[in-house]
Amino acid sequence: MQFSAEPRPLRPPLRRPRRLVRTIAAAAALATAALGLAACSSGGSSGSSKTITVWHYFSASEKAQVGLMDTYAKLFEKSNPGVTVDNVYVPYDQIQSKVTAAANAHQGPDIVVFNGAEAGTYALANTLLPIDSYLDSFADASQLSPSTIHKVEGKTYAVQGYVNLLGLWYNKDVLAKAGIANPPTTMDELTADLAKVKAAGADGITLCGLPQGQGEWQAYPWLTDAGFSYQDPSADALAKAFTTIQDWVGKGYLSKEAVTWDQTVPFQKWEAGNVAFAENGNWQIGSAKSDAKFNYGVVPMPLGPDGKVYLGGEGEGIGKYSKNPALAWKYLEQTYLSTEGQLDALKAVGSIPSRTDAAADPSIAADPLLKPFADSIAKFGASYPDPAVKPASIADLQLAVGQAWSGVIGQQSSPKDAATQLASKLAGYVS
Amino acid sequence: MTTMTDTRSTRAASPDAAPLRRRRRRRFDRRWLGVLPAAVVLGALAFYPLAQLVRMSVSAVTSATLSLDWAFVGAGNWIKGWQEGDLPHAIVNTLVFVVIVTVLGLVGGLVAAIALRRAGRMGALLLGLMVFIWALPPVVNGSVWKFLLADAGLINSVLHSVGLPSVPFLFDEHLALVSVALVNSWAIIPFNALVFRAAILGIPEEIFEAAQIDGARPAQELRYVLLPAVRPTSLVLAVLTVVYAFRSFDFIYVMTYGGPGKATNTLPFLGYLQAFVRNDYGLGASTAVLAAAFVLVLAVVYARSVRREELES
Repeated sequence: MQFSAEPRPLRPPLRRPRRLVRTIAAAAALATAALGLAACSSGGSSGSSKTITVWHYFSASEKAQVGLMDTYAKLFEKSNPGVTVDNVYVPYDQIQSKVTAAANAHQGPDIVVFNGAEAGTYALANTLLPIDSYLDSFADASQLSPSTIHKVEGKTYAVQGYVNLLGLWYNKDVLAKAGIANPPTTMDELTADLAKVKAAGADGITLCGLPQGQGEWQAYPWLTDAGFSYQDPSADALAKAFTTIQDWVGKGYLSKEAVTWDQTVPFQKWEAGNVAFAENGNWQIGSAKSDAKFNYGVVPMPLGPDGKVYLGGEGEGIGKYSKNPALAWKYLEQTYLSTEGQLDALKAVGSIPSRTDAAADPSIAADPLLKPFADSIAKFGASYPDPAVKPASIADLQLAVGQAWSGVIGQQSSPKDAATQLASKLAGYVS
Repeated sequence: MTTMTDTRSTRAASPDAAPLRRRRRRRFDRRWLGVLPAAVVLGALAFYPLAQLVRMSVSAVTSATLSLDWAFVGAGNWIKGWQEGDLPHAIVNTLVFVVIVTVLGLVGGLVAAIALRRAGRMGALLLGLMVFIWALPPVVNGSVWKFLLADAGLINSVLHSVGLPSVPFLFDEHLALVSVALVNSWAIIPFNALVFRAAILGIPEEIFEAAQIDGARPAQELRYVLLPAVRPTSLVLAVLTVVYAFRSFDFIYVMTYGGPGKATNTLPFLGYLQAFVRNDYGLGASTAVLAAAFVLVLAVVYARSVRREELES
């Protein structure tokens, strides 16, 4: 603005360079503005109403998951001529912020496939459309397991086409060497088995001790087995669970290094062959089949009557600014929520169907690796996240528990101190 | 327009002085116009986000209120950060981290530069390798080091083979921070070595020859010729290395994720956890502003040292 107030040049020869400078400046300003606009528009839109845009976080390396997305696209396009399904990959650590940014600009995908545990965060950020009316009119709604329907403040925002959960993988060869006939069914048996395995010269167990949400997800079965619940966060129950885990570390059953492991690394360690047990999920079935060169099996987590296992997996919701939410719901009905779609997921990824009828498919009961997970759902299955946690505090809680869990495994804090500090924090996160 | 009339009248009043003044003005104008695109880009990409960050740090902002009006909370976020107990710990960790990275980064850089002073073919190869290391993305670098420092990694395997016990590099609560800081120093040494090398190559060879004729031993050459000559460079480099260490986030993210527990939480990583994991953007922004304030002070020191060096040269 300053420049226009400056004196105009009087001599013509000087005018040209100045005009040139101005032109360049204008071009630069235009380019900057264009860049800004481009950045805004990259937030994405649902395009034409005959296109269903699906945002997901499965990278190309997750071939089974990406393949499933393609299968769903074909399935829906076949039964709805003229409709195109556009699967868009957004990296896991960016998807939430991108969906939020797009919603702020009143744009975004028709369908978001995200970590189901974060349904509250997505809903509170006004990125998802309540789907109660669609769900009410869905003929097969009663087939869906209640723990796979995500409600926030009384409204439904997401459903799950399948569940993922943890089980106890075991190496039959190592167990035989240690003189153990059957895998454990209780915590006491597991601890006794770990001692025998250690005495036989093998490693005990691998699990994830990362100080974040994955740690919390893996800690939950052990915490609940010790009598802990988020409804009434007791420091004593936490201390009991933490003591068990720290004892395992102290006695060499569990490596302290678990604090640096996500959920993939500990399974690879187990697959290397000298570890008796691994706390890991059904999504590792494919990996075990290709990489574990020994006799192995999987059983439900060895938990007591209070013990629980989260039913995780991806949540599917309709974007708040979807241009055609009815068509988007139809996509969910015909893919994620249909028996056919759920059996596709079972075949492609080993995911356990969320529909009762699909979960009763004979292929699951006949599969020695799938059956223990299906049994676990009935026996220990719990909503993820725990309904007692305030939706706005889910992320806080997951981080706090993950850090405490990691601190205990890393022997950074004593079980009692970690439990006391965590319990006082949790009181503010649960309702 | 009025200015134009004024100029004309001034010109009429003093015909000798005015054209000169006007020419100066014109040159001044053009320079500003040239700066404009850079200023626009800098304003859009640096100052605006920084202003937003400061605004965010004094507001209550979560993912639910991100697109709404931000409620002003004053120092509320800093108080919350302090009361939660993570902030003091992160400040101490950051300072330890910065000291290790700065000392090792500078000493290592200087030693490498001196060693490579008379670079032969091997030296050139080594230099190329160092540039490669420096150019590697931290995520790749960090992942490789995480692998090397693991319990069954290469370094512990070597220790085992010579009968030493394995070292819990990344999962001991005290050692983890030191290990990540060491890797961070390792990653900055090539850059420092290149800058030091440029400074050393700038010393006229005659000075070394004169020193040798005077009977200076290599240690004396180092102390009385080399070190004084690279002193201004060291100052600039020291500030740059401190800033680099201060904002280091990537190695921690990849190698320890702040763990075990919270043992390797530094200010940038704590800010990340608060803003992007807990979705408390206000709290995260307050931590980020604190870190930015430290860096800003250092940036001022840096700018001054650069100016002084320019004046001296």
